[in-house]
Amino acid sequence: MSLSISRLMGLLMLCLLLGFAFLLPLIDRGDPLEQDLLRILHAPSSGSLLGFDHLGRDMLPRLSAALRLSLGLAALCVMSAMMAGVVTGVFSAVYGGWLDRLISLLGDMCLALPGLLLVLLLAAIAPDSPGMLWLGISLVLWVEFFRVTRATLRPIVHAPGMQASRLLGFSAFYRFRRHLWPALAPILMTLILFSFSSAIMAVSALGFISVGVRPPTPELGLMMTELLPFAWEAPWLLLQPVTALFLLLISLNLLMHKERK
Amino acid sequence: MKGLHAIGITVTTSSATLVEPVNLTLLPGQPLTLLGETGSGKSLLAQAMMGILPDDLQASGTLIINTRRFTLPQDVALLRELWGRTLASLPQEPWLSLDPTMPIKQQVAEGYRFVRGQGKAASAIAASNDLQQLGLEDAAPRFPWQLSGGMAQRAAFAAARAGGAEILIADEPTKGLDVARRDEVASLLRREVADGGTLLTITHDIALARQLGGEVIVMHKGKVIEQGRAEQVLHTPQQEYTRELLAADPAAWSTRQQTLVGSKPVVSAEGIRLQRGAKTLGVPQNIILHAGEVVGLHGASGSGKSSFGDVLLGLLTPQQGQVTRHAAVDALKYQKIYQDPSALFPPARTLAQSLNDVLRRHRIASARRDALMEQLALAPELLTRRPDSLSGGELQRFSLLRVMLLEPVFLFADEPTSRLDPLVQQQTIQLITSLACEQQCAVLLVSHDRDLLEKSTHRVIAMQAVA
Amino acid sequence: MMIKLLGWRLAQAVFVVLAVGLLTWFLVQALPGDMAWRIASGRYGYDRVDASAVARVQQELSGSLQQGSALLHWLYDLLQFNFGRSLVSGEPVMDELRWQLSQTLALAGTSLLLTILLTLPLGIWAGCHANGKLDRALFWLSALLKSVPHFALGMLLIVLLALQLDWLPSAGHGELRHFLLPSLTLALSLTAVGVRVVREATYQVVTSGYYRWGAQKGLAPATRLRRHGVRNLASPVLTWFGMQFVWLVEGVVVVETLFAWPGMGHALVHAIFARDVPVIQASAMALGLLFVLLNMLVDAGCYLLDPRGARA
Repeated sequence: MSLSISRLMGLLMLCLLLGFAFLLPLIDRGDPLEQDLLRILHAPSSGSLLGFDHLGRDMLPRLSAALRLSLGLAALCVMSAMMAGVVTGVFSAVYGGWLDRLISLLGDMCLALPGLLLVLLLAAIAPDSPGMLWLGISLVLWVEFFRVTRATLRPIVHAPGMQASRLLGFSAFYRFRRHLWPALAPILMTLILFSFSSAIMAVSALGFISVGVRPPTPELGLMMTELLPFAWEAPWLLLQPVTALFLLLISLNLLMHKERK
Repeated sequence: MKGLHAIGITVTTSSATLVEPVNLTLLPGQPLTLLGETGSGKSLLAQAMMGILPDDLQASGTLIINTRRFTLPQDVALLRELWGRTLASLPQEPWLSLDPTMPIKQQVAEGYRFVRGQGKAASAIAASNDLQQLGLEDAAPRFPWQLSGGMAQRAAFAAARAGGAEILIADEPTKGLDVARRDEVASLLRREVADGGTLLTITHDIALARQLGGEVIVMHKGKVIEQGRAEQVLHTPQQEYTRELLAADPAAWSTRQQTLVGSKPVVSAEGIRLQRGAKTLGVPQNIILHAGEVVGLHGASGSGKSSFGDVLLGLLTPQQGQVTRHAAVDALKYQKIYQDPSALFPPARTLAQSLNDVLRRHRIASARRDALMEQLALAPELLTRRPDSLSGGELQRFSLLRVMLLEPVFLFADEPTSRLDPLVQQQTIQLITSLACEQQCAVLLVSHDRDLLEKSTHRVIAMQAVA
Repeated sequence: MMIKLLGWRLAQAVFVVLAVGLLTWFLVQALPGDMAWRIASGRYGYDRVDASAVARVQQELSGSLQQGSALLHWLYDLLQFNFGRSLVSGEPVMDELRWQLSQTLALAGTSLLLTILLTLPLGIWAGCHANGKLDRALFWLSALLKSVPHFALGMLLIVLLALQLDWLPSAGHGELRHFLLPSLTLALSLTAVGVRVVREATYQVVTSGYYRWGAQKGLAPATRLRRHGVRNLASPVLTWFGMQFVWLVEGVVVVETLFAWPGMGHALVHAIFARDVPVIQASAMALGLLFVLLNMLVDAGCYLLDPRGARA
């Protein structure tokens, strides 16, 4: 992947956010859930960089914890979706036949219901369970990996290149490495980034309607809902989760940026 | 005075001259053919005259079209006004130039309707007439992708002419067409000229140039090599290059000396019946190939020649029949060369690496590779390059090399030269047949060009008509 | 081919009903005690709930869980669209559903209309004048807008337009102006990606061989765009729109909640909190089936527009 200015900026932003999310707990010993009722809606000061929310909680560790949740959960979802999707995609493209039809059918079934609905229902069965969120989001994401892998590899599998290598006596592994993987890798990278941002948006949307995670768990979408009533008196509070989410998503978008022709 | 006069037309980039100044005259009733190989500049010249050069190229010179004067490059915009009305271009790839979502008839009718300004009903009638004259009445309501290559070319012809243009520029009109279709297009173009049209044809196909007659300009690397009447240039060429070019036409090849053919059968097939879907293909039922023998298989595109070869190689199972491999048990000794070598080598690796993979896999000494490279006239420095930076001819020779490393006893050559220029084609066929003879390898050579097969093989088998 | 497509969509519809049925079945099995309490408190009020009320609700619930073929009965009821009564309000679910469906459709329809009005002219212009000023501006604008999730966008619009500037009402219902903020939220998010899709599709068309040859045939630019451009654009653009219906249905759920819009999404979210199983079933299924129906319409549209898919 070539590093253009946009991609570099995106990478930098993402690293900063990752650092904020995962390295902060090592420096700052704040507790995202601890309430100090004397400090309700305190503005940012030298003592606390991001101020306190409506229940007296320190926003700095809270925001960091929220980012950790979004990033961690999204990463897990994308990894499982990718593994399931790519493996099934490769087998589907290479073997075709009934296997291909079966897996395609499974994929269509997973997408029959809009993803959010599926996760809503799953989350209703077991509320405040990140496991259900992971299950629902992964079930939706893997189909895209499967379809893209299959669509990318199918024309190559049937092209003369693979046949020629087979005639020359090369193993299946060689053929995968030399013919299939070079075609798949660049597309996979973009898809990973795209799925990552989809997962993050899904988690925060669910948090926003208070279904995915419940208070007092810090989550970006949930925090937005909680802080909206105070938009007038303490706008800097609402802006924090919004900005964090925005920066996260835009860093991913920048990483996906392809140079214009 | 009607016609087109080009004076001092050149095509340049910011750093180089691609086409040196050319003068030519197009007159009604007298076809002019620009003959040359890929990279000779003939297409660029035609594009310059039409005003459709890519943005990074610049044309200069003077054009006088029907007594109107155009100075390039300033007057390119003015030139565009002539499109459809005076100047028409027949595209190289008709499938890419016809709208895939619009029926043929409408695409022809819109020339009458929007360029000539006729009414909707009148245009429809005119379009129907045109298509009928070209034998496309049945195709009129269909879409371009439903037509064969030859039919699509004729449809594009009708659509190009609908605007009323008298000057037609045809860029490689017979590209990818087999002999029968090519002759159809040639007679179509001749009829156009006989009706008083003005025709400029760009092609590398010498047979087409002969059929069209008129004037011929031979180009090579951006320069005009020879210019004159077709009968003269194509029969008694003055220049060395022209002579080479004419000699590269398979019809002009000398009959190959009959080399000794071994009596050992290498591969044989009996009772073959092959189907594609519901159709039975006209493949030969029985065949025996002997060591060192070069057998030609001739047939039209899509008739199943490739499938037959795949059957002999064991890549495809026929509905009926049996294939016996006599010479060697190892499947590696039965190899194939493809029509399009560009996708054969892994794109991200240099040729050296790809070839090393083969050497390592089968424990072949690299000396053998070097010897073959010399025989195939491949420079050593080409090894450091990636597949996409090599020409079609070079890639085809490398794929031949790769296959020869395994010392095969049978080689299935599936239209190995149909995408190559005439000179390169001649060289490649010679290499295939001489290598085969040397290694005593049996070759099944597939082509749609009968002349090529008759001049380079021991015997030719024709595909039967489809049942 | 058309029959095959329709048949497939029908199968999808049946699958949706089964999926919703199964999931709500598990829901009912999951925490019956808790659920009975929630429903009772939803019905009588949190402070007036007592053990007998909870027991009564539990009776109601287990009444519908007949022994043996319970699941089959459950699904059978669903297939007949028999949802029964809301466990919270006691009203027949179908009545409420009809009203909510109309509201959701109105919102979705307005959003789609706004999206089309925004994406088509801008996208086609940008594609025809690729790399020009508008094209580049749209590129960066869409990149920014894409990074703001629709609920955040809705919130920002509320804060800006309703609270700060007081131009539009932030919630409420009934008049045309109430439509504006919620549908604008959805439309802007859809447009952010849509305008790029239309631009790409337009760019592909205007740089294609047949489009360029059209000019060489002598067609004027406007004629060329009309006859060859629009038709070839329609298929990829419509396909993309079809894919967005997933997003639209999901977006509607969130936006309705934010703006307290009385549609199916809003009903679903509230029902989940209150564990009002019949309403959960009804709204989830209605949303799911709406999605299938929209996809069916898009399939039909693509089939009619692009002959390659149909008669190939």
